[in-house]
Amino acid sequence: MSTAVREDITPQVTGPSTRGGRVHRPAGLPWIAPALVFSVGLLYYCIGYTGYISTLDWDGASPLQRQVGAENFARMLGDPVFWGALRNTVVFFVLTFTVQVALGIVFASLLHSRLWLRSIYKVLIFIPVVLATATVAPVFRQIYAPDGALNELLSAVGLAALQQTWLANGAFALLIVISIQIWQSTGVVFVLYYAAIGQIEPEVVEAARIDGAGDLRILVSIIWPGVRGTTIAIAILSAIGSLKTFDIPFLVTGGGPSYATEFLGTMIYRVSVAFSDVGYGAALSVVLLLLALSAAVIINVGGRRGERSGV
Amino acid sequence: MFETRRLRSRIGLQILLTVLVAPFVFPLVVMVRGSLQGAGWGNYATVLSLPLLPGFFLNSALLSAAVIAIVLVCTLTAAFGFSKLHIAGKEIYFWLLLAALTLPGVVLLAPLFATVTRIGAYNTLWAVILPVAALQVPFTVLLARNFVDGIPDALIEAARVDGATMVATFWHILLPLTRPIMAAVVVLVFINSWNEFLLPLLFLQTPDQQTVTLVPQFFVGMYNNDQTKVLAAAVLTGLPVVIAYICLQRFFERGLAAGALK
Repeated sequence: MSTAVREDITPQVTGPSTRGGRVHRPAGLPWIAPALVFSVGLLYYCIGYTGYISTLDWDGASPLQRQVGAENFARMLGDPVFWGALRNTVVFFVLTFTVQVALGIVFASLLHSRLWLRSIYKVLIFIPVVLATATVAPVFRQIYAPDGALNELLSAVGLAALQQTWLANGAFALLIVISIQIWQSTGVVFVLYYAAIGQIEPEVVEAARIDGAGDLRILVSIIWPGVRGTTIAIAILSAIGSLKTFDIPFLVTGGGPSYATEFLGTMIYRVSVAFSDVGYGAALSVVLLLLALSAAVIINVGGRRGERSGV
Repeated sequence: MFETRRLRSRIGLQILLTVLVAPFVFPLVVMVRGSLQGAGWGNYATVLSLPLLPGFFLNSALLSAAVIAIVLVCTLTAAFGFSKLHIAGKEIYFWLLLAALTLPGVVLLAPLFATVTRIGAYNTLWAVILPVAALQVPFTVLLARNFVDGIPDALIEAARVDGATMVATFWHILLPLTRPIMAAVVVLVFINSWNEFLLPLLFLQTPDQQTVTLVPQFFVGMYNNDQTKVLAAAVLTGLPVVIAYICLQRFFERGLAAGALK
């Protein structure tokens, strides 16, 4: 690297020829090489390897590998667990995104208003973000256990009739997984909106208020359009996050009961590790990766187009 | 943003905020309260007296430190290169990196497992450090490049006109200016690597190699149904990140916002 550097500075010193075509541009490739070789190299190597494994019938350890072509992918189409996992992912995305955006904007607007103890509220909203799912999973299993905190709370307020074995019911289990995700990532959404709302000029809000707009009207007509770019970024983050979902269902519900909280991540783990069907797991991984990429591209393009026609 | 000039509306909004925040606090209360039931602080004493416990914390600290070091070096050099230097086909390289942002860690499972066992890295921290760091780099480069874009090119030019080498320019001009984003990257990467669960679960088999995220499972196995000990262990493993977050709150939020607002 140091030789390249020495060559670089000589023309700079020799004359004021920086204008007119001879703009001196030192070689930058060595500077991005560590990140490229390490990150892009390792990750793309893994992706390529996954693509290769996805055409195999292999248990991941034995030397016996059988080429099966696209058989793993064909098998996926007829696998109800795969379609169930996709459906769960969609439900998970729609609910987490909607609730997080609503809560995030309301929290950010409230904490930009003159209220008491704002910094304490901010910390409380954000603490769930920094705690590992592995750390809080026992807490949620305790809350939703038959003799857990939720049933206890229900009987304390006289609603004992509503008590449930929450995690044994498929619909509730999925909602619980979703609610834990909302609990964990609303803090991030809030911080992003908090920064975005900070860029809206207070004069605009004041002017609207003088014109008689109430809080709700200001939220809908000024804040919501003002943070559009942030909302698109959050849509991409939560779409990819939904596809990546693993820790919460794995640790809290184990994907059950009867696959009701199975996601692609937990399915890949189950298929590859528990069933030692690494070829099929790799095929699922390839599909997951393609879905994540397309989600990012579609939301990005769609969001930008909407922005252009909307204004 | 909202109307707070009249005391009544201010109190109304304060109540709304409190009601909305309550569900976020509830699990934390259950966690701390549960950890103090039965033997009370004795639960903590039991958990802390386990000879294996310091090992879990040490492994997580080593993992985080190594990941932070690797990510910082890759991120700062790459941000300098992408933002300030001429590279043919630069944006193609950048998009290659950005595409990896969408990569779910679980996709790496099979190839990593095959590779790790082949090179004999199974049950060593390296099997976790390298992939975790590689997965962080795309986001931190995006973050740092956005930040370095905001540093005027003229500063870099001036240093070069004065005869500074590239390395000296990077070291004496760029690095001091990137301190805020470095802090954000360090906090972000620390929390992500401290909290990493899947890869340690997959690659670290013996308790002397395992990290704190595997502690709750370890305790479930050990204490069976004694939830109080499991929760005490959960509080102890969560404490370092909460403290780190509260102390470095400013950098952390700024870093997050800088990454997404661009």
